[in-house]
Amino acid sequence: MSTQASSTMADSDAEQLTMLRESAMDVVQRGANMKHLRERRGTLPGYDPAYLRQMAELGWLGLLVPEAHGGLGLGLTEMAALLQELGKGLMADPLPAVALATRVLVHCPQWAGAGGHLAALARGEALPAVAWQEGLGGIDPAAISTAAKPEGTGWRLSGRKRFVVGAAGAAGFIVSARNADACGLFWISKDAPGLSLEHEWRADQTPIGVLALDGVAVAAADVISAPGGHGLQGLQRAIDETAVLASAEMLGVMEASLQMTLAYLRTRVQFGQPIGSFQALQHKAADLYVQQELVRAVLQDALRGLAPGQDALTAASVASRCKARASDAGLRTLREVIQLHGAIGYTDEHDAGLYLKRALALSAWLGNASAHRARFAALQEQSATS
Amino acid sequence: MTDPTSPGSQRDWNALSDDEFRQEAASFFAQQVPAHLKFLSRRPRWAEVRDWYLTLSRHGWLVPAWPVEHGGMGLSQSKALVYVEELERSGAPRVMDQGLMNLGPVLIARGTEEQRRRFLPKILSGEHTWCQGYSEPNAGSDLASLRTEARIEGDEFVINGQKIWTSVAFDATHMFALVRTDKSVKKQAGISFVMIDMKQPGVTVRPIRNIAGHEELCEVFLDDVRTPLVNLVGELNGGWQVAKALLGFERVWSGSPRQSTLALLRLQRFAQATGKMADPVFRDRYTQITMDVLDAASAYERFAQIMRTGGSFGFEVSMLKIWATETCQRVTELLVEAAGDLGGLSGEVDVEGDSMDILYPFLDCRAFTIYGGSSQVQRNILAKNVLDLPS
Repeated sequence: MSTQASSTMADSDAEQLTMLRESAMDVVQRGANMKHLRERRGTLPGYDPAYLRQMAELGWLGLLVPEAHGGLGLGLTEMAALLQELGKGLMADPLPAVALATRVLVHCPQWAGAGGHLAALARGEALPAVAWQEGLGGIDPAAISTAAKPEGTGWRLSGRKRFVVGAAGAAGFIVSARNADACGLFWISKDAPGLSLEHEWRADQTPIGVLALDGVAVAAADVISAPGGHGLQGLQRAIDETAVLASAEMLGVMEASLQMTLAYLRTRVQFGQPIGSFQALQHKAADLYVQQELVRAVLQDALRGLAPGQDALTAASVASRCKARASDAGLRTLREVIQLHGAIGYTDEHDAGLYLKRALALSAWLGNASAHRARFAALQEQSATS
Repeated sequence: MTDPTSPGSQRDWNALSDDEFRQEAASFFAQQVPAHLKFLSRRPRWAEVRDWYLTLSRHGWLVPAWPVEHGGMGLSQSKALVYVEELERSGAPRVMDQGLMNLGPVLIARGTEEQRRRFLPKILSGEHTWCQGYSEPNAGSDLASLRTEARIEGDEFVINGQKIWTSVAFDATHMFALVRTDKSVKKQAGISFVMIDMKQPGVTVRPIRNIAGHEELCEVFLDDVRTPLVNLVGELNGGWQVAKALLGFERVWSGSPRQSTLALLRLQRFAQATGKMADPVFRDRYTQITMDVLDAASAYERFAQIMRTGGSFGFEVSMLKIWATETCQRVTELLVEAAGDLGGLSGEVDVEGDSMDILYPFLDCRAFTIYGGSSQVQRNILAKNVLDLPS
């Protein structure tokens, strides 16, 4: 009886995943527009507001939001599938940034404000962005110097946060800051006195925020997790989860650009034959396929490893393995995609460059391959001694 | 535990869950694998492993995948995979397995009732040991260009030619071979699959020493060797199809991460003995290769899962063999590199009190990217059949 029930459940999960994929493919097919994407480069907020409304209507913004707060209450596997499909059309933004903020909020359920923010982001009314990095970046969320000083029942924050993805369209920020002992998480509205926002530009010319915090006051109600609470742990877990989601988007970017390249190899004629008939190029393409399938396999393992009930060390290790492989394989693929297209691939007018730049942005975000290899090594050591 | 007097093949293994079966298999192998044969770094001779083979046979544990009516365990695909994983984990030595893995399934699927009756029981009893006669001096990656010829005389084939890279032919009583039976047609269309008794005049086996110093591969010369027409498997000139049907399981198996994992353990042992882990350059490369091996395991798991759930896949499985074998080679290359001066010494050498053969894994795994379709052939397969690139 119970097996029957669970298999029916698995069937309906699979069906839901297929429907989600199909709806994303449909949106990409109708909506992917490289001309508009080029026109948006260097502009704020870095995505089309109409597309944001469409995402809200489709339920995608609230995909990871629990049903109690008006979301679809789906899991990382579904979000990964969605981002993979949207990645093929370079149409993921601002979903990855929203996913990161959502996961932080979901991991901080003790904060009374979480539900309201989750409901607002699911409707697309007020998006949060997570401001956790500083200085030169890096993937250790505890390596920060933004200061949190207690004041009355609240806190006052001073410091400079960097690499804030989704900052341009955000209504407020989840900001990490520390006292002498530990890190905490705080909610700061974009209009808070003492806060100023500037932008740097990612490889794909989408904005990435720099927050200056000059004695910004945080009321007690906006303390997500005081220093020493579980906030840092939740942030770390959310970063791991979103690194895996970014890997899924990278897989989509790789798949689309490999398909584009294969089509070119089949039709481009030199020396009287399609260049795809040359073994040197065939073997290069085969190697890219191997990398693509590795990413797919590790992604599948990582999503399993992040499922509830798996131990934290295993989850963190497989997330790092996933992001390291995706970052490495993604950059390798896009470098070769440019090479295989020859001179036309070097032009700004060709889409190969757009995919390369998305891969560069995704590779660096939430830790590149070197960063995750180093972390993986540290985790291995930790598991050997524990 | 399994009682020797009631053969395991009579149990309905598929009534167990995969996990329950895994426990049964693990405990069976743990009890039965002879200690002196565990984790050998070479392939043992038949005389050394015959008793172990017969132990497996007696308990009904010799052939996981054959149907019960033919003396196998009748395991589902997923349990057969569990069997192989636990066998590997136990450190059991490799036996004469061509009859078990290749010929048996071929006879069950494509042989005649008479062939099954004559040959399958003798594989189980160890009376017949089989080798595979496919490659020839001028038919390696281009296997279909093979020239060993079989002409029909009365009710017999008369076979002339030469096979090479035949594993453990010196311990085989029989060979199944691809031979040319029609020279007038497209090369794949003139090949037949025949079974040959090795114990007859005209069969000459000569071992080939490999670069690791071992003799496992052989040349087999066939001069007017005879085999009855009833030893033809499948149709006359239908041998290519028979051989191709064998490739499914083998292609997944050759992409398993087990060799890379073993090589990595050796590298780890070396690094621990020498304090090499404190070297940040080595540590970075070690981490990278460890992740490559784990990713190979993820890829293997993906295909294994498809097999377990009864699904099928096509040529895309070639990516597994490319990644698993080339990763394994990189592990062994890092060991030689990290070993410095020791990487220039042959055989077992002293490593801070531990004794290790640094070069053996490096030399041994050169073969992995050559046999079973070289890395280059696998890339050709992907390019043409998966990526749809023109020829």
